[in-house]
Order: sequence, then structure tokens, then C-alpha cells
Amino acid sequence: MATLTARHSFARRRAANPALRPLIARALRDARGRTIGFAYLFAAVAYLQPVAYRHAYATLAERIAFARSFGSNQAVVLFYGKAYDLLTVGGYTAWRVGGTLAIMASVFGLLAAVRALRVEEESGRSELLLSGPVTRGVLYTAAWLGIAVQTAVLWVAILAGLLLGGLAVGESAYLALAVVCTIPVTAGIGALASQLAPSRRLALELGGLAVGLAFALRVFADTAGGVGWLRWLTPLGWAELLRPFTGAQPVVLILPVLAASGLLLGAWRIAAQRDIGRGLITPRESRPPRLVALGSVTGQALREEHSVLIVWVAGLGAFALIFGIISASISTSNVPASLQHALERLGIGSTLTARAYLAFVFNLVVLLVSLLAVGQVGAARREELEGRLGALLALPVDRRRWLVGRLALAAAALSTTALVAAVLAWAGAATQGETIPILRMLEAGINCLPVAALFLGVVALAYALAPQASLGIGYGLVVVAFLWQEVGALLGAPRWLVDTTPFAHVALVPVAPMHVAAAVVMTGIGLLAAGVAVAVLPQRDVITP
Amino acid sequence: MAAISAHALSKRYGATLALDGLDLEVHEGETYGFLGPNGAGKTTTIRLLLGLHRPTGGGCEVFGLDCWRERVSAHHRVAYVAGEPALWSGLTAGETLEFLGRLHGGTDRVYARELIKRFDLDADKKVRALSKGNRQKVQLIAALATRADLLLLDEPTGGLDPLMERVFRECLGEAKANGQSVFLSSHILSEVEAVCDRVGILRAGHLVDEGTLTELRHLSAQTIDVTFAGPAPQLQPQDGVTAAPMGTSGLRFEVTGPVAPLLATLAQHPVLTLVSREPSLEEVFLHHYDHGDTDRAA
Repeated sequence: MATLTARHSFARRRAANPALRPLIARALRDARGRTIGFAYLFAAVAYLQPVAYRHAYATLAERIAFARSFGSNQAVVLFYGKAYDLLTVGGYTAWRVGGTLAIMASVFGLLAAVRALRVEEESGRSELLLSGPVTRGVLYTAAWLGIAVQTAVLWVAILAGLLLGGLAVGESAYLALAVVCTIPVTAGIGALASQLAPSRRLALELGGLAVGLAFALRVFADTAGGVGWLRWLTPLGWAELLRPFTGAQPVVLILPVLAASGLLLGAWRIAAQRDIGRGLITPRESRPPRLVALGSVTGQALREEHSVLIVWVAGLGAFALIFGIISASISTSNVPASLQHALERLGIGSTLTARAYLAFVFNLVVLLVSLLAVGQVGAARREELEGRLGALLALPVDRRRWLVGRLALAAAALSTTALVAAVLAWAGAATQGETIPILRMLEAGINCLPVAALFLGVVALAYALAPQASLGIGYGLVVVAFLWQEVGALLGAPRWLVDTTPFAHVALVPVAPMHVAAAVVMTGIGLLAAGVAVAVLPQRDVITP
Repeated sequence: MAAISAHALSKRYGATLALDGLDLEVHEGETYGFLGPNGAGKTTTIRLLLGLHRPTGGGCEVFGLDCWRERVSAHHRVAYVAGEPALWSGLTAGETLEFLGRLHGGTDRVYARELIKRFDLDADKKVRALSKGNRQKVQLIAALATRADLLLLDEPTGGLDPLMERVFRECLGEAKANGQSVFLSSHILSEVEAVCDRVGILRAGHLVDEGTLTELRHLSAQTIDVTFAGPAPQLQPQDGVTAAPMGTSGLRFEVTGPVAPLLATLAQHPVLTLVSREPSLEEVFLHHYDHGDTDRAA
């Protein structure tokens, strides 16, 4: 009997191991689009920052003026993290590349893990594989090795960008490592969330909350006085503490390694024990009927999307509240004369007062609300790709009316998110005695909408024409447009070229009044594109699984 | 007016010709079985009839309404059941029925409640917690409760247990009694045989045969089992007749065409029993595909 069991065990091991390679290959094929997109983005940012710095601050005097004004500027620190050395190309690059890309890398890790674990399980593919000689361990290992390869690809992309930007090999490799070391940690968070949540959506919401908390901790650590130690508690803080180009502390790497290992093992312990297709969180399977909003496709879309929208409104609102509170601590004393100029060259304007600081914050809100716009078109696209749109359109439902409803819902969601953020930023500032008129803050919220409307319309058109590619086009457009606004001026690009990005036309409200003409033009383009999308959609085949 | 009419209906996806000049007519009040193996073009035909996909050639109409240009008007008279139920996982079964019913308009709520009982569906359960068979029941109840003039059913009983299949057949019988037209695409030949008035057989994107079951059977071989008082005799070969031994004292004949010459021959031998059996739909179906394979091999 014992011999038979041993033979069985051996046969199973022999059968399981050959499965690892094709499973990793499958995972990589599945992640190909996302990995390549992020790799291009990372390489571009890594290349552009050192080049832009050299171009904008050619002399030591300029660099000293820049460093003095920026070293303690909380608004800038908020997004890019703590700056250790702004006099060298390497120090500046580590600050800008490390700060922004570490945030993006943490999002990548979360998405990669939820896709590789929860989505595979939700689709039933894991069950199919597990019904054969593939063990849970092999499946889990393949998912992790797939993410490891994706991380390596991103590391190479950042390294290539930095080398092309003229930085040294060793330090560049270390900076790239500091950026991607957040990936295994947030992938571990995603893996754990995938064990807890029975659905992709809930796993992303839980994981997103954790990653948001990691960002908030880093923000507090970098901007509030006396809480710098908080940096040790967040993977985004560890990326800073590794200090590439500015006195490397490689021993910090032990933290992401330990955290990722702990999360990986914790997730595995749950994955090995629980029922396939379910999570530890068990949602109610039955309830009495709720018939609200079931009379129309738009009402039902609202029911489907409401939890996502609540997360967006609450999440962005909470950050706006925090920024509002922090805004009161912005000092206007001892400002070097060169600061205004330096800030303008960065394309972000003045950040010297509470109002200016909030204007800067709302520049980021414009980006986030634009991403929400793409996400809403993505929800409509998912409705089609998963076959539910086909079921709706087999009823007496007009395609144009369906799309108009989805776009109206998206527009309402964008408006609500931006206005709630505006009101909460105002409330946060008011708690600290900052008296910014509420109408000015509401204007800052409204100021976010024309760019978002433009992207909403353009991505809706991409969806109507090429649904499969539309999400990549949408996110790509928003990110590239935002980055171009950031680096275009630094690179010394001609004004008309910088102005090709919609973000260049966003006024710094509440410091400056809204650019009404630009807002009208952008909203008009968005409406026109949306109109064409509504006209085009009925002409093509509906995608049916 | 025909419930469905298609003329030279074609659909091409890139290099693949999914439907090749389909001519089809389903009369009002008729139950039409649409047979064909995987990839023959059955689901493509239904997508074209629903106006979800645009024909690349020819056209089709539902109650005289163009399926592409007038699809929304046509859908007021149509109810559809997909082979793979794609529903909203956050809704309960009851909410899904309410949602689909409101969008269609004119749902018979009393009948819907009756169907929920007959199909033994837990209406309070969320769709995400339902098995495939139960999700299929949701679709079926939603479609049947509309009492639409035309039911377009694409492999509607996938995942249903035999008891529920029986309920489904009863419901189709009721729909037929109400004068509703049914277009039933199915792999389950016994189901088609039991409920359909006419059958169309699709192969590689075009209709290879069509007619009532009686008409189709005439084209296929009839089986005659004969036992003799003593060893089976050696018979002279006849046109349209093949013989195979059935034990030591029996023969099985497959007869295409008139049986009179065979009966005349058998009368000269000591026949003990003679059982004649019409071909089943499965035999008719396989006859077409075996022929197709032979053609392709040739």
C-alpha cells in the first residue's frame, strides 16, 4: 500500500512539473498587453526625466535655486516623495522616477496578481486545470513566476530608459530595483485579496484600499512633521528609503522581501485549504428582490457600477480631505524669487499658498477623474465582451440609447467625484482655518470635467470602432497626455507641441480662473466624439462570446 | 406572413465563411428544428436574425421586418434564449426576470410565476450562486413569459436535467398551442423529433435538407428486420437494398426506395417475423453527414 502511495506521489510530481512551463507561458501571454504597455511607459519616464533635468537646469546655479525651492516644498513632495539630492541628474531622476513609477508599479503588482489568481478562478479556467494532473501548488507557483518575469521585464525597461538618459549602469540598475521592489509586495496584497474575495471586483477593491493606504502613509511620512518613521511601514516608503543615487541603503531591500514572502505564504496557506471558486468572504447568496432601477438599462448599469463608484467617490474624497487639511501648512515665507519660474518650467505652476497647493492637487484630480472616465467606458466594454450586451440587445433595446445611457452615467459619476473632492478639500482646509470660498473650490471641481469629458468621448469612440483595443488606447492616451504635460515644457518643446495635451489647458483653479474657452472646446470635442460613437456603434457586429 | 424568412443569407468573419447563402422560411405558428454539428452556422444564423451581426450577403426578416435595419421593432415580437447564459451576477434570479421582463414589455407575470414553480427555480438566489442549468432556467422563463410571437432558442436545454427538459417540452407544446412560432436550434435530436413540425439540416453554412420528419424519412433508408424458420437464405442483390446478418436465422435490410421488390423476394422464403422501422431523426441526420464526409473524402 505504502509503495503504491509513493508510486502515485511520484507519478503526480512527474506529471505536475511539466505543466509549470506551459502555465507560465500562458500567464505571460495573458499579461502581454499590460506588461508591454507599462514597460513602454516606464522606459519613457526613465529616459525623459534625466534628459529634461539636464535641459532645464544646465548650470549649478540653476540647480541650487531649484533644490532650495523644491527641497521643502510639500506639494511636490506629496506626489514624488522625499528628495535627497536635487543638484545631480541622478538624485533628481531618483526622486522623480522613483516617486511616480513606484506608485504605478504598485498598481501593476496588484492588477497582475488579481488577474493571475482571482480572474483565472472566476472564469473557471483554474477548475479545469485542477481537474487534471496540475496541483494547486503548481498553479500558484506558475502565477507567481509569471509575475516575477513581468517584474523583470519592467526592471529592464526602466534600466534601458535610464541608460539611454545617460546615467551610470550600476546606480540605474539599483534605481530600477527600488521602483520594481514594490511589485512583489502589492502583488502579495493582490494575492491575499484574491483569497479573501470571491470576485475580481471585490479583490481589486480590497487590494486598492490597501495600496491606497500605503500611498497615504507615504504622504503623511513625507509631508507631516515628526512622522517620518511611517515611511518604514509602507512599500512606497521603502522605495524612497533605498535611496538610489543618494547614498544607497540596500539593506532596506530586506523589507519588501520579507513582506512579499509573508503575503505570498499567507495567501498560499489560504489557497491550499479553501474551496476552489470561492473566497473566505462569503457574500449572501439569497435575498428578497430589490426592484429599484430595474426599469431601464441605465438604471441597471448604475446598480452594477454603484460599488465601484462609491469607492471612487469615497477614495478621492478622502484624499481631497487630507490634502485640504495639509494645505493649511503651506508656508509663504522665505520663498526664493526663482521658485515661481522653476515651478512654471515644471509645468505645475505656483504651490506656495493653500489655494495654490490645492490647485496643484486638483491637477492630479483631473488625471484621476480622466482615468475614471476610461474605466467607465471599460465597464461598458466588459458588458459586451462578457455577452450581457448581446442579451440586452436581443430585447427591444436600441444600441444608441444604451450607449447614451452609459455615457450619461459616466458623466454623472465624473461630476459627482470631482465635486465631492472639491467640497471635501474645502472642508479640510476650513478645519485648519483656511478660508477659501466654497464657490472657488467648486469651480476647481468643475475645472476637472472638460478634460475628463474629452477623454470620455474619445475613448467611447475608440470603443465603438475597436472594442477590443479601446481600453489600452484609453489608458494609454490619458497617461501619455499627462506625462507630456509634465515633461514637455522641461524638454524645451515648442509651446504648440506642449499644448497638444489637454492637461496643458487646465487652469490652476482656485488660484486662477477656469479657462472657459479651453473648457468649452474640450467639452465640445468630447461631445462630438461621443456623438460619433453613438452613431457608429449600431453599424458594427456586437461581440458575443 | 412568414415568421422568419432568409434569402441568400451569408456571413463571413475574416477568412471564414460562417453562413453561405442560406434560404429559409419558417411559417407563423410553426415549430422549426434547426440541426447541424458544431460550427455549421446555427448560432451565426440566430445572431443575424437578432440583428446582433450584420449579414455580408442576402438578408433576413422577422414578421416582415428587416433583422438589421428594423431590429428594435422586430424584437418586440421575439424572445431569445442563448446557449451560454450571460446574466448579471449581482442580481437575484427574480430581479433578472423582472429586469428582462420590463425591458421586453408585456410579460405575462402570472405565467412567469407559474413557470418559476414548474422549473423549480429559487428566485431569491443571486445569479452568481446559480448553476449553469439554473441560469438557463432564468433565461427560459424570461423568454417564455413574454409569450412573444417568435421564440428563438439556441441550444436551450444545455445544463437542464431530464425532468426540466420534460417541463421545457411541455412549455413548447403550450407555446405551439398558443400559435407562437418556435425556431429551435439543438443538438438533442430526440428533442427536435418530439416537438418540431419541420426540420432543417445545416452543413458548412448552408441548408442541405429541409422538410417534415416524414419527408426527411423518405429520403433515408428504412430498416426491416426479418427472422426465418431455419437458417437465413442467400438472396440475390437488389437495387437500393443492403442486407446484414442478424444472428444465424435473421437478416437486417436497409431499404432506400420502394420495398415491394424485397417483399416479393421474401415471400418465397419461410419468414417467421418481419419488423419494419422508420429511420430515426438521428439516422436521417447521420445519413447527411456520412454523405458529407464521403463527398469530402472524394
